[in-house]
Amino acid sequence: MSAATRIGALIVKEFRHLGRDRRTLAVVLALPVLQMILFAYAISFDVTNVSTVVIDQDRTPASAAYLRSYASSDFFRVVGTADGLADVDRIFDRNEARIAVVVPAGFGRSLAAGEQATVAVYLDGSEPTAARVGRGFAVALNQAYGQSVAVEWADAQGLDVTAAGQLEPRVRTWYNPERRSSDFLIPGLMVVIIMVVAVQQTAVSLVREREQGTDEQLAISPLRGWEMMIGKLAPWTLLAFAELAAITAVGVWFFHLPLRGSLGVLALGAALFVFCSLGLGLVISAVAPTLESANMLGLLLSILPAFILSGFAFPLGSIPVALQAFSWLFPARFMVAISRGVFLKGAGVAELWPELLTLAGYAVVVIAVAVVLSARRRR
Amino acid sequence: MTGQPAAAPAIEAVGLRRSFGDVVAVDGVDLSVPRGSVLGLLGPDGAGKSTLIRMLATVLRPDAGDARVQGYSVTRQANRVTPRIGYMSQKFALYPDLSVAENIEFFARLRGVAKAERRARSLELLTGMGLADFLGRQAGRLSGGMKQKLFLATTLMHRPDVLLLDEPTTGVDPVSRREFWRILADLNRAGTTVLVATPYMDEAERCTDVIFLDGGRVRHRGTPAEIKALLPGRLFELRAAEPRAALAAVRGLPGVLAAHLYGDIVRVLFDADDVAAVEAALAGEGIDGAVRAAAVDMETAFAVLAELAREEVAR
Repeated sequence: MSAATRIGALIVKEFRHLGRDRRTLAVVLALPVLQMILFAYAISFDVTNVSTVVIDQDRTPASAAYLRSYASSDFFRVVGTADGLADVDRIFDRNEARIAVVVPAGFGRSLAAGEQATVAVYLDGSEPTAARVGRGFAVALNQAYGQSVAVEWADAQGLDVTAAGQLEPRVRTWYNPERRSSDFLIPGLMVVIIMVVAVQQTAVSLVREREQGTDEQLAISPLRGWEMMIGKLAPWTLLAFAELAAITAVGVWFFHLPLRGSLGVLALGAALFVFCSLGLGLVISAVAPTLESANMLGLLLSILPAFILSGFAFPLGSIPVALQAFSWLFPARFMVAISRGVFLKGAGVAELWPELLTLAGYAVVVIAVAVVLSARRRR
Repeated sequence: MTGQPAAAPAIEAVGLRRSFGDVVAVDGVDLSVPRGSVLGLLGPDGAGKSTLIRMLATVLRPDAGDARVQGYSVTRQANRVTPRIGYMSQKFALYPDLSVAENIEFFARLRGVAKAERRARSLELLTGMGLADFLGRQAGRLSGGMKQKLFLATTLMHRPDVLLLDEPTTGVDPVSRREFWRILADLNRAGTTVLVATPYMDEAERCTDVIFLDGGRVRHRGTPAEIKALLPGRLFELRAAEPRAALAAVRGLPGVLAAHLYGDIVRVLFDADDVAAVEAALAGEGIDGAVRAAAVDMETAFAVLAELAREEVAR
């Protein structure tokens, strides 16, 4: 009887397990959908319509014109006015607004005199992302406004403003000009999902054989070690690829994610990454004493690194240096780079070969470690 | 030595030893099981029964010594041993989420049983065991007795020469136990050698030979009759109003070799040969109750041998 028959029997069995296990099935199938919706839709890192209150203590046409520039911007949504700073505290506490703009008395007079007029912008720092972005836009807006005021003033005084050589600030964002966070998140999200499914399921499926005692029955069958590995890994490889295809399809058609590079390069990277993840799962299954510990280790070594140490949610440059070093231990960061490279930058093998090579090396090492560990574990 | 001598015993172990950390589970076991016999493996919990069976099944490597099953070494020719054995671990080791048919099909395919044979053989086995109506039932939802029968059927699909059964009827109701043993008897008649660990003494009586294992060593071996004959003195049963008090009083008496409770009856192994002498001795200590001579059964032999072994260790 051939090895193919035995591997086939194992693969059929694995899919039967999956079919019977509603909860795992739900996790495996619903997780990607749920995460897509959550990350690419509900939890948007896009910052627009930041609720803003304005406090006009100057009450001149000039101050009114200045505050109108906030109201007409997409980034700020003026939700009301207030009388003094004391009100700002209350408004922030009630989460009615994140930003307060205060135009002090004398603003109009200063502008008319050609002097530097000051305004105060208060930010609710308890929501750092909105605060950071809001600050950036407030500064930009003030710069632009201040300039136009200066130009008007210069005009009125009969001066040549172009000769003054003032700079016009101009911000351009590459690859994702509209700064849509879904473009940024979906390529990373597929990495997270593949990693979670592959690592978790592989780890659990081998430990379960041990807990059920069926590993002994497998051991006294002619099934060889490598046949067992293939039979155990093939179903999850197939599933990971199906999910990858689904996420890509939904991303491109539903979220209008640009796919600028080649699908082939993406598939190559994904294949290598899947092997890395499966290998990691095998290592866990070799060292975990119980199903629970395999589950915990699987979560710890898949979700956390995939979220935090991959550049998926936070830029790798912004996490602590010690963790940055740690991120090299996990394959996720390379795959996030490949995925974003292919989708957003149209990168190919010429640009991504270091990441592809690293993943290939990682896969070889981690699977070798897994084989050694589980061989030592037997008997 | 790769040949299989025709007359080689079904199982032959020499100096098998295995420890887990500091605990020596099997401490140098020699064993020879002729083909076609039913060997019962007896002994208290922790005696090393499971460890011994797992080594014979090639799923556990011995620290020292070796064993041959049907002439093949379990350490060096494991892949020749495994096609010839069926192994039931103490724990039910089938997939609880798969159906009866799926479990039996999976393991048979893995074992290389051809498709036509798989169908015919599984039908024959499951029908014989009364499981034919439960083909679609998930294994985890079967009763204890049915689970064990299914497990046995699964290990029989590739027609093994030797069955290694680790307490296959523990936790199974008495009716199912009898049925299980009827199946074993049929298999044995057809030539299968059976090694079965059991905590049930009535099952031990049905074996052609028994081995008494304690502390990882073979303490006694023989036919059930021989084991029973190992007991010194004669066995008497004492019916007393307060059995526990009577047991305590009896234990200190001269001439008492061993005593234990059997339900409400005190069973006493006495260094005397007639009821009158025993009654006199008991009456002298103020213990009254009905005394009668009893035949030694495996239950008593087991209890007394274990007790004597413990005393020996204490001494």
